[in-house]
Amino acid sequence: MQGNGLLNNYLVDTNTWDEMYSNDTIRDQYRGVVEFLQQLNIDELSKKEEQAKRLFMSQGITFTVYSSGEGIEKIFPFDIIPRIITAAEWNYIEAGIKQRLKALNLFLKDIYNQQFIVKDGVVPIDMIYSCPHYLREMHQLPVPHDIYVHIAGIDLIRNNDGSFYILEDNLRTPSGVSYMLENREIIKRIFPDMLPRNNVRSVMEYPDILHKNLVSLSPRQTAHPTIVVLTPGIYNSAYFEHTTLARLMGVELVEGRDLLVDNHRVYMKTTTGLQQVDVIYRRVDDDFLDPLVFNPSSTLGVAGIMGAYRKGNVAIVNAVGNGVADDKAIYAYVPDMIKYYLNQDPILKNVPTYQLANAEHREHVFKNITQMVIKKTNESGGYGMLMGHAAEEEEIVQYKEAVMKDPRQFIAQPIISLSSAPCYMNGKLQPRRVDLRPYALCGPAGIEIVPGGLTRVALREGSLVVNSSQGGGSKDTWVLAG
Amino acid sequence: MLSRVADSLYWMSRYIERTDGILRMLKINYASSQDDISEFSWKSALRIFTYLEEEPINKFSHQSREVLQYMIADKENPNSVINIITRARENGRSVQDHITKELWQCLNDFYHVIRDEQLSGSLDREDPVTVLDALIKQATLYYGTIDVTMARGEGYAFINIGKFIERATQSADILDVKFSDVDYDISAADTTYWKYLLLSISGYELYLKTYRSGFEARNVVEQVVLNRNFPRSVLYSINQLQRYFMRLKSDRHAESYNKIEFMLGRLKSKVNYSTVDTILEQGLHEYLDEVRKELHEIGVALNQNYFAYI
Repeated sequence: MQGNGLLNNYLVDTNTWDEMYSNDTIRDQYRGVVEFLQQLNIDELSKKEEQAKRLFMSQGITFTVYSSGEGIEKIFPFDIIPRIITAAEWNYIEAGIKQRLKALNLFLKDIYNQQFIVKDGVVPIDMIYSCPHYLREMHQLPVPHDIYVHIAGIDLIRNNDGSFYILEDNLRTPSGVSYMLENREIIKRIFPDMLPRNNVRSVMEYPDILHKNLVSLSPRQTAHPTIVVLTPGIYNSAYFEHTTLARLMGVELVEGRDLLVDNHRVYMKTTTGLQQVDVIYRRVDDDFLDPLVFNPSSTLGVAGIMGAYRKGNVAIVNAVGNGVADDKAIYAYVPDMIKYYLNQDPILKNVPTYQLANAEHREHVFKNITQMVIKKTNESGGYGMLMGHAAEEEEIVQYKEAVMKDPRQFIAQPIISLSSAPCYMNGKLQPRRVDLRPYALCGPAGIEIVPGGLTRVALREGSLVVNSSQGGGSKDTWVLAG
Repeated sequence: MLSRVADSLYWMSRYIERTDGILRMLKINYASSQDDISEFSWKSALRIFTYLEEEPINKFSHQSREVLQYMIADKENPNSVINIITRARENGRSVQDHITKELWQCLNDFYHVIRDEQLSGSLDREDPVTVLDALIKQATLYYGTIDVTMARGEGYAFINIGKFIERATQSADILDVKFSDVDYDISAADTTYWKYLLLSISGYELYLKTYRSGFEARNVVEQVVLNRNFPRSVLYSINQLQRYFMRLKSDRHAESYNKIEFMLGRLKSKVNYSTVDTILEQGLHEYLDEVRKELHEIGVALNQNYFAYI
């Protein structure tokens, strides 16, 4: 185990699943990497960390923070040690996500059309209508191939016995996939030969699959439909991702001001006049998409685009109104949906979820609040959360008051301890908590998931919050072949 | 191509061309300031490339370090190299899917080099030529990267259109301000003065090979305006401008194309069929002013016909 002493201080929390260690032995999948790392000295490793930072910087894989009128370029923290998933684990995850996504798609189609699931009493109607992301504008609006969720980023965590749980379904505009791709490119540079030697599956196909799916959605039957990625603009923190996707697919990256709607058709303004747009992969939220229908003060979207969408003259990806399916209160019903639509038992588990609108649940949660995390149903990015074990008394009292004002907007879950994975910190490997977000693509030919994803890591010791907005970083994610 | 994209490529290119021009000019002026400070002044450089009033220009006129600091690293100066590069990069950033990854990285590196805090310290304390050379090298890398990586499509045409409009304007500006220093006196016979003018636009060697009779103002005018083989001459720039513009010809957009083609053709004939004598007869300043005005009008017409998207 010795060598460069890299592992000397690797102390796994007893009640946590560690991705690398099991009972003080290194799991098979990590053996190759650990052996390699132990041959290096600490200076070499620190140099590699430095090199990774420089590569991110010089490739402009950055976001800009504006303070006192001046932009400062920052990179998202990146940990150089890959997170490794075995072939068996991956097969299980893949099957579970495909099943879940299939059910969620059927749910969206149902809820915006006949609403059988409500009529059969599986999901209560007030759960639907009280969701702010449920959009009446989507009623009876036909979408191509009945696909609502073209791109999903479903978050998984692992509790102390190693079993996977679904934490969140991100079905609106999930981000981070460019980091899946770029982290891999960085690893190729800083650890030459490591990927083939460890039999790691490639993630390169992602943009090709996405492009193929987008082409298949074109309402016009033409050999070369016009596909665009719609971005809020260069000041958006995910702008790098938008431009990466556009470039890798070879499609146009547009802003709202590049588009206009005429006679229920969407056009982009080019140097040779107007050109009709067929498919829009939008990275603009529903609320900002069309000032005529949603937020009237939005300048990020395109006036009249919903009219064109309703007429079927343009395809929008992901579909509008998906927020009703990844709402944190609806989340509790997903296992029932899987049974209802597919007549199958769910493969991947849900975290037990308490509806605070339900008086019985609420009482239970308040009584055991130190073991609970309470979340707002329509927030994401780790905002508006209360972690019961770490909160001050006063904080809890205030939060309870907020809950009582509108209990529908809150859910509670028992605190699940995330699994830990090795991270390179100050010359040592240290365990830090991680989650996993694979990216699933749904097209007319079915659901495809590139073998990999984004592993987000809570860089602070003991922290369970991995969101980048809360000081989280990321790792390259390896799925091993057979 | 999206109008916004064409617009951004055009301005990215203009800004880098401007940067390159400023840097080369600074390098030569600095060298000449070390030569004979009594005859040297920064005034004309400040008049061409900044928006300063007469009073601060007079104050600055013999303060080489201050001028370099102001023109390169001062964020309060809207035309400082650091601000121009930031704008070039912002334009590049918004069209990353239309330039090659190599070109984007090159722009990005340029931006990080100029923002390096050591740079401003080196300008103050060490040899400024080393700093200028490092920056000029970044600009040269940019040109080379475009040449070897960019597809010869519409985007490439707009990049070159921006580049040559900027260059033609800059050469006309430099000539005009330099001659205004000597009150357009063609007989002014200060050899070093013309030598540094030519050096600052990389035209010195060509001049020596073309003219054997020493430095004469007439010849300088001829080379900078009319020499079709000198890559910074007004005529060369206009020829290139026309060449790249003609690649935009398309049936879908004939009216706009014809309009600008006409303007370009007229300007080209005007310069092409000038001689030093006819230029001087009209008055150098008046002549250059007309050229600049027409270049500006072409820029406006491009904006209206190709870049209008708001």
